[in-house]
Amino acid sequence: MKRKMKKSFLILLLAILCNCQLEKKASLKGKYLRWVGDIEQNNQIDETEFKVCNGDDKILQYFNLGDGPIYTGEKSKILNTFKSKYQPISDKNQNGLIRIRFIVNCEGNAGRFRVLQSDYEYQEKEFDKEIVSQLLKITKGIENWHVFKRNEVPVDYYMYLIFKITDGQLTEILP
Amino acid sequence: MKHINLLISLCPFLSLLAQPNCEAYKYYGDTLKYKACKKAEQIENHYQFSKKFQEILDESILIDSTFAYAYREKSVAYLKSGDFMTWKKLIDKAVKFEATDNLGYRGWCRYQFFRDYKGAIKDIEKLDRLVDYNIGQSINGTYHLNIAKGLCYKAIGEKEKAIEILEKQIKLNEVEDFVGAYDYLHLGVLYLETKRFKKAVETFKKQSENNELAENQYYLALTYLKLNTPIQSKSCLEKAKELYIRGRKMFDPYSNPMDKIYLEDIENEIKTAYNTGSRFTSP
Repeated sequence: MKRKMKKSFLILLLAILCNCQLEKKASLKGKYLRWVGDIEQNNQIDETEFKVCNGDDKILQYFNLGDGPIYTGEKSKILNTFKSKYQPISDKNQNGLIRIRFIVNCEGNAGRFRVLQSDYEYQEKEFDKEIVSQLLKITKGIENWHVFKRNEVPVDYYMYLIFKITDGQLTEILP
Repeated sequence: MKHINLLISLCPFLSLLAQPNCEAYKYYGDTLKYKACKKAEQIENHYQFSKKFQEILDESILIDSTFAYAYREKSVAYLKSGDFMTWKKLIDKAVKFEATDNLGYRGWCRYQFFRDYKGAIKDIEKLDRLVDYNIGQSINGTYHLNIAKGLCYKAIGEKEKAIEILEKQIKLNEVEDFVGAYDYLHLGVLYLETKRFKKAVETFKKQSENNELAENQYYLALTYLKLNTPIQSKSCLEKAKELYIRGRKMFDPYSNPMDKIYLEDIENEIKTAYNTGSRFTSP
């Protein structure tokens, strides 16, 4: 009896292991979403009040409409906002790029913010939390992003800001 | 103009990278690369951000893991979405396997998307050392790569070197009647910043003849102020505002070009001028 149970247990374990492997293969095959860089809603970190208007499968990129990056009040407004609100941290080790990417919906509201950080050699790094949290807070605080329209219909689109940080100072904002 | 606008509006959806000639691989007996190339041809009509586009290129790389074109094409969506880390890993592979085809492109992208001035200079200069032919234009055709290199030198504070590079390249461009849309403007701004005001005026006038822009009139106005000719300065600022409103300003579908100005800059300058009164009264 004991031997039979042991055998069943081994078969079960093998089946689980095989299943895991299959799942791993499937996830490798399905490593892409609809578009590179798509951001799925994650209720653990994203505000549930933020909604896209036309469905996730119709979210465009900011440059898809051919008008370039457009900001309400032009880029000078964004530059002034960060200039007045960002408190630099004096630290020789805080160097590199921080990208905050998000979705702007058809009403010009932003949501689903994601952060990417690297040094100037494009290697992943973690900046001082105070730098990242400030940039995130200021970005989230920007209201009324530009509303892009296609055939007169307002669209949802992906937008990002890249911050260049040198010695903890904010030196440039792109795009 | 209408056609140019149409082309510009379509560009963000299209791949601007040249397709490789698969038959050439076959001719030279590289059957693996030929197969990888034929597979990669299937990306045509798929959007570069799409799952299908990426999967086709993954298959191409599986056939030949040294096929530079597939890495380069894969990298574009990451570049345009600002994912600098993934982009860099992919484009580095393309450079590794086909350095002369991809160094200039990587250098330009470093500048255009990430303002990685030192990295861009390094790539463009390395390409220049590797080849004995003209290193050519940026992928979008806006600048000769030497002009882009000059702008990078300016950004890291080496303005004299930048002037030297721009002057030299513009002369060559003039011979070929192929001066870039913003070449004179950038050189004029450099002259203004290094206090060579008369040269700046001459250069901005050339820009006016070549491609008039709000930025050109704005910087010309600043130069006239330095030359104590406020009437001309005022007239230029008004022209700058009119041009800006009409959309005759610097443009890049993905980023904001160097020396670009905003309406606020022009209006502030006009306001300051009126507030200081005498700046705009006749001498």
